[in-house]
Amino acid sequence: MAEIQRDVPIKLAQVGSLVVMKIVKHCSSSFPTTATGSLVGMDSNGVLEITNAFPFPTVDVSNTDGHQNDASTLAAAAPRAKANIVYQNDMIRHLKEVNVDANNVGWYTSATMGNFVNLSFIENQYHYQRDNGKTVALVHDVSRSSQGSLSLRAFKLSTDFMAAYKEGKFTTEILQKSKLTFKDIIVEVPVVVHNSHLLTSYLHQLPALPDNPELELPTSLDDIRRDPAKIPAHPSFDALDLSIDPFLEKTCDLLLESIEAHYTDLNNHQYYQRQLTREQFKITQWQTKRKAENAARVAAKQQPLPEDDWHGLFKLPQEPSRLEGMLNARQVEQYSKQVDGFTATVTSKMFAVRGNLLPE
Amino acid sequence: MAVDQEHFVHLSRPLAPTVLGFGASSAPLTVNIQPQAVFSILDHAIRRDIRDTQSTRVIGALVGIRSEDGSEVEVRSCFAIPHTENEDQVEVDVEYQKNMLALTLKASPRETLLGWYTTSHELNSFSALIQNFFASPDTGTFPHPAVHLTISTEAGTSIETKTYISAPVAVNAERAAESCLFIEVPHKLHFTDAERAALGSVAAAQDTETRAAPIVSDIEGLTQSLETVTGLLERVGGYVSEVLDEERDGNHALGQYLMNALSLTPKVASTAIEHDFNNHIQDVLMVSYLANSIRTQIDLAQRLATAPLVAGEKEAGDKKDGEEGAGGQDGGRGGRRGGRGGRGRGGGGRSGGNREPREPRENAD
Repeated sequence: MAEIQRDVPIKLAQVGSLVVMKIVKHCSSSFPTTATGSLVGMDSNGVLEITNAFPFPTVDVSNTDGHQNDASTLAAAAPRAKANIVYQNDMIRHLKEVNVDANNVGWYTSATMGNFVNLSFIENQYHYQRDNGKTVALVHDVSRSSQGSLSLRAFKLSTDFMAAYKEGKFTTEILQKSKLTFKDIIVEVPVVVHNSHLLTSYLHQLPALPDNPELELPTSLDDIRRDPAKIPAHPSFDALDLSIDPFLEKTCDLLLESIEAHYTDLNNHQYYQRQLTREQFKITQWQTKRKAENAARVAAKQQPLPEDDWHGLFKLPQEPSRLEGMLNARQVEQYSKQVDGFTATVTSKMFAVRGNLLPE
Repeated sequence: MAVDQEHFVHLSRPLAPTVLGFGASSAPLTVNIQPQAVFSILDHAIRRDIRDTQSTRVIGALVGIRSEDGSEVEVRSCFAIPHTENEDQVEVDVEYQKNMLALTLKASPRETLLGWYTTSHELNSFSALIQNFFASPDTGTFPHPAVHLTISTEAGTSIETKTYISAPVAVNAERAAESCLFIEVPHKLHFTDAERAALGSVAAAQDTETRAAPIVSDIEGLTQSLETVTGLLERVGGYVSEVLDEERDGNHALGQYLMNALSLTPKVASTAIEHDFNNHIQDVLMVSYLANSIRTQIDLAQRLATAPLVAGEKEAGDKKDGEEGAGGQDGGRGGRRGGRGGRGRGGGGRSGGNREPREPRENAD
């Protein structure tokens, strides 16, 4: 089918400030369980504009039974659930009546300290990106945003990975052929926050730094206390807070979990290889026995038996998929990049504090 | 941080007819508004249909939670309702409101309908009509009063919000449906910590030409904050030195305040400071080193898992096992296991088809 406009890949995600506020409110109110929702907007010329968002309905945990009784798992799987697809279409139809953009351009999720790279994330994004290549997943990191600057990132799956995921098999030979590494699974898209004119004028009304050089001096201490100077929203002074241990503890916990996941994966592969070895050994034994039998039969002038019969008798074990291992590796890379960023800011703050308390 | 609250003297709240003994208090009603509701309303105001309706205002419903005794109300979100308004009549799509309310409540089950909003400060009989609709028993907020929020969105004037509740009052019985008395109630814009960070990023765009600002990384955000603080400190320092040089008159209140603030620096022994500082720096650097070494190890494991080797992938798997056996241990033992893996590979390379059983290799202890 001929495309009227050239298929330009997305280079930038422009997020409306309304979307930012809605996502932040939803994710922080349902912390620490994961929160998911849908995004609507428009894409034009390589820039994906996201103009509105709405959360997916939450299911009360007490009502569900069975193995999937974790609110986080339910919420993480929400974008794919059939009931929620209906909900999404309903919402988009209603929003269209009030002139909101009616295209679904992706979904959002919340994360704590960057732990969003898991199978659920990939499946959700695949579900959206399968039909329409111009969808992104927005990830809002709640715990890192509370330390200062907002953490909102946009991701999509790379085309190589999409093709490989469609096949559904991630065995060693396929990976060797396609040269797919864990680094190529998700691609980050830069995010820009955009305001409308009305909103900009509203923002100018909120407290800002005084810009005139002369201010009226207060007459008493009570005056200052009653009417304190208003702190502007930007730049945020929360970033100057020095809190080290909680971040380090949480990071170490998450790293330990990833190491365990890695070793589980490793053990699975070793088990598979041991099984494979044993089966191969049995097959070769059987084949030598067959050869000996055939030699005897030829000597006795009888028909030799076929040597390929082992297919029906022995079954080679399936190689476990390497996808989980690759996702785990990507997750660890994410953690280490986070720690690097944290180290940079914290060491500068610590040296500043030390320089003040111990003047040389 | 709160937007300035005007000072109110609230004598008593007008009561709509309620069920006797419901326990409705006549305490004044305060309305807390979350910023995302305001942003949503402003966004809706921009997207309004300017073709056929004469009125330039839009309406929508407010959703949120109400405290137990009904005296505190928090507006958490809102949605728009299509409506048309002419000089003599107004139409509101009630079906739409019901459906949209059901959808919104599915996503946030603990919230309820609180009232409605409009984007002009004018209060006319249409407002009264809609207000009575929203306060009515079956589709509205009965027996609690419906909150009416108005935001002025005209170009050139500042954007102000006002909140009202209503009491029924009418000239005569026939016109009861379209008249009511609007009483203003105090309201506050309420920011939580999480939203402050978001607001920071949003406000970063307010001074640029394109009204767009990229989301900055942590260290860039820190740089901007530090620059601002340095600027502020220079300003205060400049003032203090001018006072000391007697170029300016000092101000008692300011001097007292500065002294109180500066006396908050802790007086700790310098050895204790050095000690704590070293400990913390070591913690941070250790975790950073650990994270990076884990990353390198796993990166290596992944590469070896899929690396093409001469004798096939099984040897690659074994070599990877050998290397991974060293994961978490010190390098010396890793070298020995790597050697064992290497020798195993040499053994398997003899014949591709004839695979020998490997002795069970114990895992990293």
